[in-house]
Amino acid sequence: MIFNDFGIDIATLAGSLETRLAAARECGFTQGMISATDIVGHPTSTAAAVRAIRDSGLRVTGLEALRDFEGLSGKMHDYKVDVAKSMLELCSRIGGRLLLTEASASIHAEVDADKIARDLRKLAILALPMGIRIAFKGLSWSRTVKNFAAAADIISLANCPNLGLAIDAFDVIAAGVPLDDLDLIFPQQIFLVQLSDFMLQEIRSTEEQAATAAHFRVFPGEGAHSDQLAKFIVKLEEIGYFGDYSFDVYNGDYLQMPAEVIAKRARRAADWLGETVLRRTLPVPNMERLRPAVPE
Amino acid sequence: MSNATDRESVPESPNPIGMDGIEFIEFTTSKPQALGGVLERMGFRPIARHRSREVELYRQGAMNIVINSQPADIPRTVEPIERPILSAIAIRVHDADAAFRRALDLGGWEIPIRAQALELNIPGIHGVGESLIYFVDRYDEFSIFDIDFRAIPGVDPNPPAIAGLDFFGIVQYVGVNRTDDWSEFYTQVFGFKTIPDEVRFGIMPRGLLLQSPCRKFYLQLIEPDGTAQFAPMEEHLQRIGFGTPDVIGAANQLEQRGIEFLATEKVHTSARGALTKALLGGVMFELVHAEPREPRESGKAAAQP
Repeated sequence: MIFNDFGIDIATLAGSLETRLAAARECGFTQGMISATDIVGHPTSTAAAVRAIRDSGLRVTGLEALRDFEGLSGKMHDYKVDVAKSMLELCSRIGGRLLLTEASASIHAEVDADKIARDLRKLAILALPMGIRIAFKGLSWSRTVKNFAAAADIISLANCPNLGLAIDAFDVIAAGVPLDDLDLIFPQQIFLVQLSDFMLQEIRSTEEQAATAAHFRVFPGEGAHSDQLAKFIVKLEEIGYFGDYSFDVYNGDYLQMPAEVIAKRARRAADWLGETVLRRTLPVPNMERLRPAVPE
Repeated sequence: MSNATDRESVPESPNPIGMDGIEFIEFTTSKPQALGGVLERMGFRPIARHRSREVELYRQGAMNIVINSQPADIPRTVEPIERPILSAIAIRVHDADAAFRRALDLGGWEIPIRAQALELNIPGIHGVGESLIYFVDRYDEFSIFDIDFRAIPGVDPNPPAIAGLDFFGIVQYVGVNRTDDWSEFYTQVFGFKTIPDEVRFGIMPRGLLLQSPCRKFYLQLIEPDGTAQFAPMEEHLQRIGFGTPDVIGAANQLEQRGIEFLATEKVHTSARGALTKALLGGVMFELVHAEPREPRESGKAAAQP
């Protein structure tokens, strides 16, 4: 069984960065999504966090998350460009090749599609010399880019090869997006797919969705929407997606349980998806290969 | 209603920054004399030294090469080591400040100002790997070398070029599946154009060719093949290509000066081109057949509206 396609979001686990990285590795994961706050919030130093990640043996799925970047003008734009540059440098230091960028929820952001596309294009060009790809994700509480279809429109408008989509299964399922909408997306445009399930049968409002997204997610196969999640992933494979999957499971309860216990649950989810849903036994061609840890 | 004078509908100029060729190419090394020796064998002559930095100017014909051995003072730039590294390209543009600002607007990374008093502040952005791209607009009546450099006494400041050698292009190694990215970067920020696959120059035809908007030089983007595909991504400027109307004649003259050329079944000197053996741990030069360039028009190429 090959687990290389599935990674765990390290922010899903509790404990020190080192503990969490080790728990993920011990459960068989070969890649992990890293939160910028975990690097700069390291009790020793940013350099120590960078070293821990590089020494962990895990490939970095990506760094998260740049927020409220696009649509700003003047000094606010310049400020956000500085923030973006700082995150790109951090991403490069940990050997990451992808920066997750969430659609702006700022009330100061312009809603003009051309302006948003222009800003994201600039972000992509900033990331380009470092070999970093920008995975842009719609947010249901964004004013302009609420879902992957809207994000795909913006990305087409921006038209830059290292700018693509991040799709969060939670958003798709919670908002009841028809899976056929994925037919409109070029699989090469999808850079990252985040997976999680949730316990609630139904989500009634955007506020409820935001709260569930931030606290009550569970691993695939543990929630009330296993069937939908399975269909979502099968659909992605059908349209030709061959990138990474990351378990992005924010759950307040998990943060009160030992990292190794939660990592085991993540591993069970990977088993279920790999063996039951996707029946993957061989590596998929054209996959990014596991890179050896490179000293900083 | 269409209106031929409606400026709003004019598409972006094919040469948005008024690019006008290469002002200089920079190597960085901790052994500048060793590289200087190689450059002299290639036909260059030491001309001048920088007033405040450990930088030397070499010239032949219209080509300037500088050797930098100053310790790096900016992050993400080349730290001098023994093996010379291609560390910067300075491109001639109509208005350096305008070109620089445009590049920043589009997502270029600026480099901090480091000019000393009364020296020129040459604006630049980060390029591939640890290399830099400078914008220079003073190259006509007087040049940056007239201000920031001190001439070496008694040397001819304009030594002729061997067999009409001139800058033809630069080869850049890129990571796996990175050709599209870099092509986008050069197209977007500088106005380069991709050349159709069937158009090839020289004897090293791999990769994607981009032509500068001034049509004076090329960039060649080459992805790794074979087992190199699985190595960690390594991207850098790899070698300079010199154009000459007479490759065989140029190669003969350079061989007499002690430069050796590759002579394998696949890569050997021909009328189309030639490749030198690697020197000093990796420095190579390529010769490419090119028609002589028409004499330079007086005045700079203006940025087209």
